[in-house]
Amino acid sequence: MAQTYENTDEILAARRAYNDTLAQAHDARRATWFPLLIVALLMLVPALQFVGNYNYVIHLMLYTLMYVTMAAGWNILGGYTGYISLGHSVFFAVGGYFAGMIFARLGISTIIMAPVAGLVCAALGYLIGLITLRVRGPSFIISSLALVMIFRILFEKWQFIGGAAGLSLPINDLSVQWAKLPYYYAFLAMAVFGVWASYRVRHSKFGLGLRAISKDEVKAESAGIDTRRYKVLAFAMSAFLFGAAGAVWGEYLTYVRPNIFIHILYFSVWPALMCILGGKGTIAGPVVGAVLIVAFNEFFVATLGSSTIHILVTGMIMALTLMFFPLGLVGTLAKHRRLPRILNWD
Amino acid sequence: MSDLIQILILGLALGGVYALMGAGLSLVFGVMRIVNLAHPSLIMLGAYVAYWAFRLYGIDPLIILPVAMVILAATGVILYKLVFEREARSAKYSEMTVLLTFAFAMVFEGALATAFTNTQRVTSPAYATDAIFIADIFIPLGQLYAGIVSLVLIAGLALWLKYTRFGYAIRATTQNREAAELLGVNVNFVGLVSFAIGLALAGAAGALVSFVFSFYPSKHWEWIAILMSLVVLGGMGSILGTVVAAYTLSVVAAYVGFFFGATWSTLTFFVALFVVLLVRPQGLFGEKPELA
Amino acid sequence: MTKLLEVKDVVAGYGDGPAILNGASIDVQPGKVHCIIGPNGAGKSTLLKAICGMLKVRQGSVMFKGQNLKGKRPDQVLREGICFVPQERALFPKMTVRENLRMGGFSMTDKATLEKRIDEIEERFPILRERRDQHAGTMSGGQQQTLAMARTMILRPEIVMLDEPSLGLAPKIVQEVFDIMKVMTEDGITVLLVEQNALMGLKHADWGVVLDLGRTLFEGPAKEVLTDPRIQELYLGGQKAA
Repeated sequence: MAQTYENTDEILAARRAYNDTLAQAHDARRATWFPLLIVALLMLVPALQFVGNYNYVIHLMLYTLMYVTMAAGWNILGGYTGYISLGHSVFFAVGGYFAGMIFARLGISTIIMAPVAGLVCAALGYLIGLITLRVRGPSFIISSLALVMIFRILFEKWQFIGGAAGLSLPINDLSVQWAKLPYYYAFLAMAVFGVWASYRVRHSKFGLGLRAISKDEVKAESAGIDTRRYKVLAFAMSAFLFGAAGAVWGEYLTYVRPNIFIHILYFSVWPALMCILGGKGTIAGPVVGAVLIVAFNEFFVATLGSSTIHILVTGMIMALTLMFFPLGLVGTLAKHRRLPRILNWD
Repeated sequence: MSDLIQILILGLALGGVYALMGAGLSLVFGVMRIVNLAHPSLIMLGAYVAYWAFRLYGIDPLIILPVAMVILAATGVILYKLVFEREARSAKYSEMTVLLTFAFAMVFEGALATAFTNTQRVTSPAYATDAIFIADIFIPLGQLYAGIVSLVLIAGLALWLKYTRFGYAIRATTQNREAAELLGVNVNFVGLVSFAIGLALAGAAGALVSFVFSFYPSKHWEWIAILMSLVVLGGMGSILGTVVAAYTLSVVAAYVGFFFGATWSTLTFFVALFVVLLVRPQGLFGEKPELA
Repeated sequence: MTKLLEVKDVVAGYGDGPAILNGASIDVQPGKVHCIIGPNGAGKSTLLKAICGMLKVRQGSVMFKGQNLKGKRPDQVLREGICFVPQERALFPKMTVRENLRMGGFSMTDKATLEKRIDEIEERFPILRERRDQHAGTMSGGQQQTLAMARTMILRPEIVMLDEPSLGLAPKIVQEVFDIMKVMTEDGITVLLVEQNALMGLKHADWGVVLDLGRTLFEGPAKEVLTDPRIQELYLGGQKAA
């Protein structure tokens, strides 16, 4: 006969204690000052232009910030909700085209129009989500890939927005020294907004619902969560950030072209990869991932230069991460309780 | 009128090839719950095997077909042993493995493009450009052969699944992995064999595709979307469904191409995918929506 | 007391997750019906899965007729003579009843014997003969459970483990499930049963086991377990055994 308890209270207490050990204690030590410090430093970076030509540095940071925006957006859908999209480049392109057309026709800067472009993409995302979020898992991933193919063909065929040749946009009249500045601050603002938004979502009832959906959608629904509306809203939010990023990127590049903007590797796969590499579902993960991938890419393009090897290596990083660190850098460190405090933004 | 029949015949011939391209994918999904996004890039590998065999040694793609199957099956065994065997035990299996296969698709694309560049290729045995005429309807021989070979292979697969002991094991694992395991099926071995067979079919499809379509490594993106539409339309994991979907969509796409132009013909597959998701998410032959 | 199967201090869990079982033990006696009860999450199903090899036994031992089953794969445990019918969907819905029965004898190499035993089973459960070419997924819940349980008898196992066979069945049909269980014991099969409906399960059992907190808390003749006031209060919802 196994161990016997004398009275019922003892057993109930033991059961409670047992359940507590099953639930992993949440590490509440958070370093809020660190991201704030980074933002403060980032705001000062353009001052470098007073002492020399740091256009390349600014370009690189702006590029990273754009990816932080997108990765943070992808995180809301892919990280919290568990719906892996490989088709978000569609929203990047729609945002680019929408703001680009208005810039070309009416002369309103894309930086001003970025939130509007984001909203247009959110609305589009909402509609598309109503269809594609009916399925989950592999079917959803497939539908996101099909989305890219459909929009690529539509954009190339639609002569009103320039067809395959795309749109040319005017260059701003700032001196070379300061020409990148408006875009730099625009992307900085977006990245901060993206990370802040993903933080707020994570700590809201809405975010809790999303994470419940990711764990077990059927149970989440039976717990009274309107899963359909939650998922579609998450989709719309992530589309918003992609659209806003795409809007400004068009003016920065001075053109919008289907094959550049709907590029599946750069604007669908990379944000996903950044999120996964950094740690999906964490706040710091997408930021860390974006920095790593952009840095790695710069190093790689400089040394090897071939775009075919580029695909090969991106694929390899992705495969190795998924096989050996499925939780990503931040996630894996957190699991082993080795995460430096400065990266705990959750 | 004869135009319309003509289009139907061309659509049906290509339908067979699509069906073969999708059958392996469907088999692997059924048994292992993996949507192998690398499948099209492996078909590409099969196509290159056939291409170089023809170009360098003048061997007919139909003769090299078994070789391509063996090479791809071996690739499948290696991939399974190195990657999917351990993946199958991890939590969040399904969605993570899709990403993983996506990563491998990029690896294969990158490797093929690095080795052979992104130049368009096509294998050109004599029959590839030949045709027979019945009344005023012409049937391109290449597509006819490819369609027939595809059908033979798919029929062979279906019979094998229906009547052999191993076929029982595969079907049982597809329908209820846990129960199959409890009845003594070594599901891991079943997974290995189905993966190898699935890729062998990809190899065969590659050899056929090499003289039916022109191809280059990054074209596998287009194939991904096309094949996935077939698999979703047919109901994930149902081989019969995949085959029916392949023929249907191929014929519809042929008509769309005829009336509206070639670009729109490809669009047929993707739009079909969305309509299916909207109307019947479980596909034509699936039983319940994919919720896992 | 002879023991057919002796589970001792088993620790097990899913994947890398926390241990669900923390030292569960059961002594299984030949020819008897053993009913495991306990609250949700106590580890009842986990214990059956650990015995049949679907889950890794991290610590402890599972001794069956003098050999340790720990570390064996499900197909190997099956060959030793232990069948497991998992919760709910134990069937192949798109296979016919006949094909399902054939799958029951998948591990047998002798085809003639297999066909003979299928005939015997169909003899005993006429509904299965009636429906032999119907897809299993299209049958009623009770018929499906009949098929799942009858299927295990093809192998003539020594132990059959049933995970909540009455789940989702109408009360009238639940009785049929226990009738089949009786048929099994008449054949000399030892039954290890997990039941959510503890009263019902214990009434049809010889031996009762209470599992909670991943451990075996009480073990004894089913009648004693059924009448123990502490157990009644904790696990039987304060109901008195009729």
